[in-house]
Amino acid sequence: MIIVIDALNKHLFDGVLDEMFRLRARVFGDRLGWDVTIEDGKEIDKFDHLDPVYVVGLDDEGSVVAAVRALQTTGPHMLADVFSDILCGEPPLRSSTMWESTRFCVDTQRLKRGKDRNSVSYATCELMIGSLEYARRAGISDIVTVIDPVMDRVLKRSDNAPYDYVGETVPMGKVPALAALLDTGEERVERVRRFAGIPHDVFLSDDDALALFSRARARAKPLAANADDVPATPLERYLAEQIQSATTVEELKAVHSLIDALAGSLAPSRRQNLLDTHKMVAREA
Amino acid sequence: MDIVDLGTLPKSEAVYSDFLLQVREKLEMDHAAYAGLNPAAGAIHGYVTYSDEWKLHYQEQGFHMIDPTLHMSQRSIAPVDWSRLERSSDFRRVFRDAHDFGIGDQGLTIPVRGPYGDVGLLSVTRECSTDEWHKLVRHTLGDLQSLAVHIHDTVMSSDMLGRVLYHPSLSTREAEILQWVAAGKSQQDIGDILSISHRTVEVHLRSSREKLCALTTAQAVGRAVGLGLIYPG
Repeated sequence: MIIVIDALNKHLFDGVLDEMFRLRARVFGDRLGWDVTIEDGKEIDKFDHLDPVYVVGLDDEGSVVAAVRALQTTGPHMLADVFSDILCGEPPLRSSTMWESTRFCVDTQRLKRGKDRNSVSYATCELMIGSLEYARRAGISDIVTVIDPVMDRVLKRSDNAPYDYVGETVPMGKVPALAALLDTGEERVERVRRFAGIPHDVFLSDDDALALFSRARARAKPLAANADDVPATPLERYLAEQIQSATTVEELKAVHSLIDALAGSLAPSRRQNLLDTHKMVAREA
Repeated sequence: MDIVDLGTLPKSEAVYSDFLLQVREKLEMDHAAYAGLNPAAGAIHGYVTYSDEWKLHYQEQGFHMIDPTLHMSQRSIAPVDWSRLERSSDFRRVFRDAHDFGIGDQGLTIPVRGPYGDVGLLSVTRECSTDEWHKLVRHTLGDLQSLAVHIHDTVMSSDMLGRVLYHPSLSTREAEILQWVAAGKSQQDIGDILSISHRTVEVHLRSSREKLCALTTAQAVGRAVGLGLIYPG
């Protein structure tokens, strides 16, 4: 499923973004050998500090399996700067209704082959559908995307062939890079949906995305307030219950403010455990 | 779109306000407002269709320092419907007063990022049912995007520094396509001549128009000839 993360909601999705930056490090640093900066296992560049939009794919278990980043072509973006070789020194296209998409990546290690849910092909198509539909809803009619030839073939194979290319294919690390043009028209999205067998709405609400992602984290972590041998105090149990019964982001935020307000009555480790635990069971059904 | 083309007129504050009045009229909005932040010149530009009383109150209260429709929207790349903004104390403070001046909180802000860290924000509001509002936004969003860039680019290039920084630079492909337009060829013909898709012709023309601060292709051709970027047809 797809979530859209931008400057307005990213404070809720720090964990998702960290996982995405790690995926990018594996794909663009290790696999493609691009000249990218990796720190603490995360690939982050200067464009990530310009409040871009990330369209992120989660698998059924809540792990980040695909992601892409979008920037406006009216402002600073990669083709105007680090990818200017692709345009052979020519000025880039600049349009209010065109976004640039970069860092399209899919976790080929975690995902299976074939076309089923949780396969590479499914996650790729879902991300393409999500990013095209999100752009269209924002009034964007075209996307210029910087990709490698493998991704270009994947686009063609998924009935999502670019309608044209700009500039040239130039060497970039272990593989070349090129810039392709895609429209965000309904026809194109329908073709990808048919190819992948995805008729449903691919977007998760912030609430549902948070619940899904938290569930994945919770599996790796014991339940809050029962984490160590010390029995939970009534207050801790109450707070844990409140977290588990929260059904919206607002409710969850309210519990977090309560935990902050009660910091004096909680051991620091217990407090952190509570804050790290989102609703783990509330949405199991 | 027969909205006044800012590129052809002498730049004065009245022109921007007229432009916003026309945007309001054509797109059936209650109000339209533009705010431009230009860090290079250290300037903030603001033009609105709101009443003078609200403008004065807004300034006196220093609302431009806290208004979330400005501060949150400028960090987005997509249009921000105000329903997405958190109802923070700042939001409530601005909109409680706005309400007293007859301005509601159903609105949308289009953020435009310029190449030099400059940001433009075109906001529109309309009091109507939610359904009606969503329909209106869907229908006008593409136009709003173009109009937002048009007013932003014009305002930013209205001073000497801006004129130098914003001097249009067309790619070879853009100039070539515009040259064929000047020679009287249709988009269809141009696609065939250059062996590129018609949509490629279209996106290059759109880009050229915006770089040349023109709302129509004819204006873009005229301006490109004037700047010596292409030859007269």
